Amino acid sequence: MVVAGADVGTECVKAIVAGDDGKVLGRATVPTRGYFQACIEEALSNALQEAQVPATKLKSLFVTGFGASCAPPPAQSVVETACHARGAFQLLNRPMTLVDIGGRDPKVIHVDERGAVISAKSVRKCAVGIGTFLMFASRHLDVHPTRLMDLATTAEKPARVGSYCSVFAEVEVIELLRRGATPGEIALGCMYSVADRIMEMDRLESPVLVTGGVCEYFPGVVKALAERSGLPVEVVPEPIMAGALGAALFALDAARS
Amino acid sequence: MPSQPRGAQAELESTARLKDLMTAHFTGVDRAARQRTAPVAWCTSVGPVELLRALGYEVFFPENHGALLGASRVANETMAKAHAIGYSPDICSYLTSDIGSYLLEKTPLARYGMTRAPRADLLLYSTNQCREVRDWFEFYGREWGVPVVGVTSFRDLGEVEEHHVDAIVRQLEALVPQLESVAGRRLEAAHLEEAVARSRTCSDLWRECLRSSAARPAALTFFDATIHMAPAVILRGTAEACDYYRLLSAELSARVRSRAGGIPRERFRLYWDGMPVWGRLRDLARLFEQLETSIVASTYCNSWVFDALDPKDPLRSMARASLELFIARSEGPKQAYLERMIREFAVDGVLFHDALTCPNNSNTRFGLPQRLRRATGVPVLIIDGDLNDLRCFSDEQARTNIEGFVEQLEGAATVAAAPGSA
Repeated sequence: MVVAGADVGTECVKAIVAGDDGKVLGRATVPTRGYFQACIEEALSNALQEAQVPATKLKSLFVTGFGASCAPPPAQSVVETACHARGAFQLLNRPMTLVDIGGRDPKVIHVDERGAVISAKSVRKCAVGIGTFLMFASRHLDVHPTRLMDLATTAEKPARVGSYCSVFAEVEVIELLRRGATPGEIALGCMYSVADRIMEMDRLESPVLVTGGVCEYFPGVVKALAERSGLPVEVVPEPIMAGALGAALFALDAARS
Repeated sequence: MPSQPRGAQAELESTARLKDLMTAHFTGVDRAARQRTAPVAWCTSVGPVELLRALGYEVFFPENHGALLGASRVANETMAKAHAIGYSPDICSYLTSDIGSYLLEKTPLARYGMTRAPRADLLLYSTNQCREVRDWFEFYGREWGVPVVGVTSFRDLGEVEEHHVDAIVRQLEALVPQLESVAGRRLEAAHLEEAVARSRTCSDLWRECLRSSAARPAALTFFDATIHMAPAVILRGTAEACDYYRLLSAELSARVRSRAGGIPRERFRLYWDGMPVWGRLRDLARLFEQLETSIVASTYCNSWVFDALDPKDPLRSMARASLELFIARSEGPKQAYLERMIREFAVDGVLFHDALTCPNNSNTRFGLPQRLRRATGVPVLIIDGDLNDLRCFSDEQARTNIEGFVEQLEGAATVAAAPGSA
């Protein structure tokens, strides 16, 4: 039996194909572009190809994330917090404070010893888009997003980027450049800014685990979060895929029942 | 342009005395809290502190601590801790700064050897400013298991009527037994009268200091006044506060006599309504100085002027003083007050600060600036910001707006000076 899960985010669509033991057989990530449905199909097709399984063999498909409702039937949608908790718990099997940092709205999710979500809190409306903000910042700093982290490592101290709002923070980046801050200091400051927004959301209690694409591409955020919280912060294996993995596990439950 | 004396102002000599007073105050309250040498109470900044003075309490004012957290910018770090335990970023940033400071054990009071604000035996609030003060104190009441008592006041009052005063007096009277019980002594009428008399003297002297800026050039800018007002807030009801303002008043009178201003050159005079932006006090002071514009008066600094206080009728006058506060009034009396201040201080414009987390001190939200402009012809400017939360303040936006406003004043002055203009 083969099942699949997809996590449809604002920056990327992630898909996982899993076997009946929950083992990952294939995975794929495609950038989110205008038509969610086409992106979902592309990601799923790529994951099936990696698993070397034809689409006709799929018993169940669960979809989560910002664009989950765009997946056509028979795909079923499942909530994001549950998927991230499920995916992280499958990998680590312990209670945790899970911080999911995606492109749109980061979440702090408290997970108990059974893997159940005790509480989940999203960032407030006026601070959404903080992961996407790093992409915008890259544009102003004239580097490809994948190079932002390298740029940040050139700085000894971060510039202060303090706005809640991603749009205002982007304006702050321009102001900082005008005042003579180096691109490296600003890049590092942007990572601290993301960590600061997360610190305001909810209590972080050890162990703190992080999922989501931001920590995969911008590990400076994880370092900043550890520094700001004074707690060790670990990244789950393949953090960008955690939500899709959770969705695939829910699909497996459904296929078995 | 009229000629005026130039040259940067030397710092007021009172400033050194102010530093000594602050040190004595904080170390005194801290010692009392740690060594149990006197009962310690927290009191809201315009709360009924005279009752506490009369009963021998050492008094700590958390709003003052909030301002210190803002001015030192430690607030930027501490607020997040309070947000994370459920206090919204939209509520009073003094509250969130202070509670976060307690949780993180991070405070500018460290310079006085303190790791936290002092532990209280009792917390006394008045909601004449806002409801947040009560919620703020209740956090500590739960934390320390101590009584939280206070006055639930009226808000948005038009005229202050006798029945309003009666209601507050009854609440003040009802507080006394518990204040006595924690203090371990009875309230002596003579002690209360003395405390009220000292508060009134302090208020009169502070008003005199502020009035020195009615002179042209203004002797004391808003930015300096926010620093020198500290004794009026935290030492109200003490002889030390009165002594301090005698000293400051004499210095300011000397400035007026010598026509020395709070800034080297004063082209324009503005009024500030709303809270200071504590974390940008110095930057804004510098900006206005560069623009040769003096902020000569403010609602904020005048909030510790209590004309109603009368030692012959302590409780009733305390009740009236607490109700006559600008912040507790409706839009009509607020506008009348601002019109009077515009006349008395001969201001060219009014700057309203809309502080995101302090709606009660932001008088921009129900059309008051626009009505004031129509009624007086004086231009108004609104800047968005906050008392402590610098995430709500844009340096660039504020600077652009302020520079634009001063240009507007320059334009008006040019037109007024043109031949043939009325």
